[in-house]
Amino acid sequence: MATRAVIAGVGITPASSPRKQTSSSLELVQEAVWGALQHSGATPDSLDGIVIGNIDGFEGTVLGAKHLVRRLGLGPDLPVSILNTGGTTGGNLVQVAARQVRAGDRRRVLVIGGPTFFGAEDLQSAINTNSPMIVEQPLGMGAYHMGAFYPSAYTERFGATVEDFAVSAVQDHEHASRNPYAHLRNTMTVEDVVSAKPLSYPLTMAMVCPVSTSANALLVCAEGTTEDLRPTPVLIKAFATSSDPYLGGGKNDFAAMENLAILAQKVYQLADVRSPREEIDVVEVFSPYAPMQPMQLEALGFAPPGGGIDLIRSGATRIDGDVPVNLSGGPLCTNAGVAGELAPIVYVALQLMGDAPEAMQVPGARRGLAHGTGGTFFQFENLAILERL
Amino acid sequence: MSGLNPSAAAQDPIPVLGLAATPLVPESDAVLDELVFDAVSRALREAGIRKQEIGLSVTASLDIYDGRSISSGLTNAASGGYLAQSYRIEGDAGQAIVHAAQTIAAGDADLTLAVGVYNPEVSAPDRRAFLQQISNHGFEPHFDRPVGLSAETAFGLHTGYAVDSGALTEEQLAELAAAEISRGAGRPRAARTAVTSADVAASAPVNGVLRELMLPAEATGAIAVVLGSLGRSRRALHPRAVITGWGQATSDTTAGGQWLTDPAAAARRAGQEAYRRAGLTEPGEQIDAAELTTSTPALLAPTVDALGLAKGDTAINPSGGVASCFPGVANGALRLFEAVEWLEENGGQAVSHSTDLLTGPVAETATVLVVEGV
Amino acid sequence: MSTPITTQRVHWDLNYDVHLGATWGRFMQGLTEQKILANKCPECSRVFVPPQAYCESCFVKTDEWLELPPEGVVEAFTVAWLGFRGGPKPPYAIAGIRLDGASTLLMHYVGGLDLGNPNTIREQIGPGTRVRAVWAEERTGQILDIAHFEKI
Repeated sequence: MATRAVIAGVGITPASSPRKQTSSSLELVQEAVWGALQHSGATPDSLDGIVIGNIDGFEGTVLGAKHLVRRLGLGPDLPVSILNTGGTTGGNLVQVAARQVRAGDRRRVLVIGGPTFFGAEDLQSAINTNSPMIVEQPLGMGAYHMGAFYPSAYTERFGATVEDFAVSAVQDHEHASRNPYAHLRNTMTVEDVVSAKPLSYPLTMAMVCPVSTSANALLVCAEGTTEDLRPTPVLIKAFATSSDPYLGGGKNDFAAMENLAILAQKVYQLADVRSPREEIDVVEVFSPYAPMQPMQLEALGFAPPGGGIDLIRSGATRIDGDVPVNLSGGPLCTNAGVAGELAPIVYVALQLMGDAPEAMQVPGARRGLAHGTGGTFFQFENLAILERL
Repeated sequence: MSGLNPSAAAQDPIPVLGLAATPLVPESDAVLDELVFDAVSRALREAGIRKQEIGLSVTASLDIYDGRSISSGLTNAASGGYLAQSYRIEGDAGQAIVHAAQTIAAGDADLTLAVGVYNPEVSAPDRRAFLQQISNHGFEPHFDRPVGLSAETAFGLHTGYAVDSGALTEEQLAELAAAEISRGAGRPRAARTAVTSADVAASAPVNGVLRELMLPAEATGAIAVVLGSLGRSRRALHPRAVITGWGQATSDTTAGGQWLTDPAAAARRAGQEAYRRAGLTEPGEQIDAAELTTSTPALLAPTVDALGLAKGDTAINPSGGVASCFPGVANGALRLFEAVEWLEENGGQAVSHSTDLLTGPVAETATVLVVEGV
Repeated sequence: MSTPITTQRVHWDLNYDVHLGATWGRFMQGLTEQKILANKCPECSRVFVPPQAYCESCFVKTDEWLELPPEGVVEAFTVAWLGFRGGPKPPYAIAGIRLDGASTLLMHYVGGLDLGNPNTIREQIGPGTRVRAVWAEERTGQILDIAHFEKI
């Protein structure tokens, strides 16, 4: 019997660099899972499913999640679904859990995103294994090289400068400094960002996400079954995905995020959002490269083409603005792989529940948007609209 | 067409509108996405449905077989995912079919597609060693992997345990394997020809008492399934069967030891879920045929029993099961395919059961589908 | 007190024979003969290079082959200042190149640039720059049979 799905508990572990991390993957996941159960007030025996993500080549295990879930102290019987869609795995986990609940198959599903980037000696070479082998892989395409194509095209179209792209990095860091769970909590000036070590034109080191270790978890429940749980339930109002072709060359235009714009249209239709800037109270976008953020805000309808940087400069996306963006600091300040991809949904849910750490809580937030993207040249996009019930 | 009128006991009957497989061969000489495109476009054509109408495509594949991290990046467009809803699960195609059915039951789409693809990117002579190496990587990295555990070893351990505990003899293992292989031989998708139990006993020793012909018949290819809501399906070209129940469960990992004493625990739980959805109360009497994934002869009796089919006259593995053809992570779709074809010939109700064999009977995710003829 | 053991090295060593398929096989054969082969969707007429066995949008098999000139326009580019293990030696320039007549972009290196100073790159190359393929002397049927592209 079809029902609706809500989020009724989240768990976040503080993030750190792999070098400083003293916990194992298992311990981090355990901490996030127990955090989510504690936040919700759900008992382990009330769970009836687990949905978890992993990215094989990045982790040094094949379906490592298979073994991990049985060491969480949740018993040997829970059914487990394992997903891997690269950078959009986190969002898809929530989609699959919601679907299991919406179909009436499950009532209380635990969603887990672990520290994917924990162990690989050279992450760029691991990431390179997903670039189209035969035709694009031999060219030395790593993730940040892919991330550099967009700003280089955007610069050409709109005349943006390295200083312009730096504004979203400055803002993400400012937000992260208020988030006790963030990895990089230092504030930066435009000057700091611009003068950081150059990576792949026009990216500097300060415009690229760190490699973090942390874990996130959340609880997806059937609507109307959360009376015994503590948080205000947050409805998964709409969720959708959209994909570009495999080869980076199949995109039409690197100066606009067309696939995301198409997806946004679809999700706004599902959620009946007519004017995103007025109707959405809090936003988390997945922008591991600072220049992506203004482009994403444009595709999501918060700014006209070429207007994303002005939107950020106007202060509208700050905590006291009309559309706060990435109050968590986003992936630019914390990116632990699947955990990082799940983070936008985790943080938006926390905001809508009113349970975010005080320094980052948007008062009275009722509707939020959480975004994920990944794969070669950010081939996959996903988007969720969440609403406080 | 007489109209689709599935039994009223089923909670959410989901018709199967299209089912198509690429040739299932020892090694497919095509890129993965070409295999997926071949199966998907044929299943859509059979269903009379265009790619643009599909509400969700779910692909089942495993990066490490495919030689690429996030290999779904390559296969996604071929599954129908271009500018559309899609994702990939890592595991057996049975799970993709469950996800596709759930999406319709959830009211989130009218038409969905599930596709499994399997063509390990290693040439056939090195295939077995490669698959076992990957299986080893699938085991727990600090304790199981260093001591050389792989799917074959786990199957060997279980079979030895079954023989030592008196459940069955080595002769019976050979007889059961020969019967399955021979039942499937000559059918369109058989990967093995008929054999005697003496042939099985004389085949190459693989692990413990297990011989080559006691293990699944490896094949490669892609298999796609198109599902529809009941309403939409009534306007489809040629519905082939109706999925009335589905279930999914996962078994415990190595240290628990359940895989030795109760190797079909996941099948049992998945079966119970599926029967509940289908409204089946006496599966042994109500199910006419079962297509099971019994990877060794020693798993046959436990699996049949776990699914409540031990008493009654259910036809078990009429196609010869995985002893006749096993297309890796596409297997869940093949088992459904075989069950549907059996129903088209005989009518009634059937069950299909599948698991991935990445780590053998350890930590397996089993799916069970209940299917009704139309 | 002895130091606790906190990590363990886990190694992957896997060799693959990746299937090329008929479509990319033909493209690679073309490269050995200094030809850049593309194919075309029979419904939307888009021209794919690298070629595709099917059109992801119309969901039909591609059927017509054509040869494209080894020249085109840079639409996106970047320079990698840092490398990664097993990858090319940095710095190196990569571009998304729209070959004349193509509907897709071909990714490739751009050679002949002075990559000594990050601040002088945009003076040398940018979107709109026309480039031409430079063929490798020894060609074995792989994408690096085109050694790189260079400014015309």
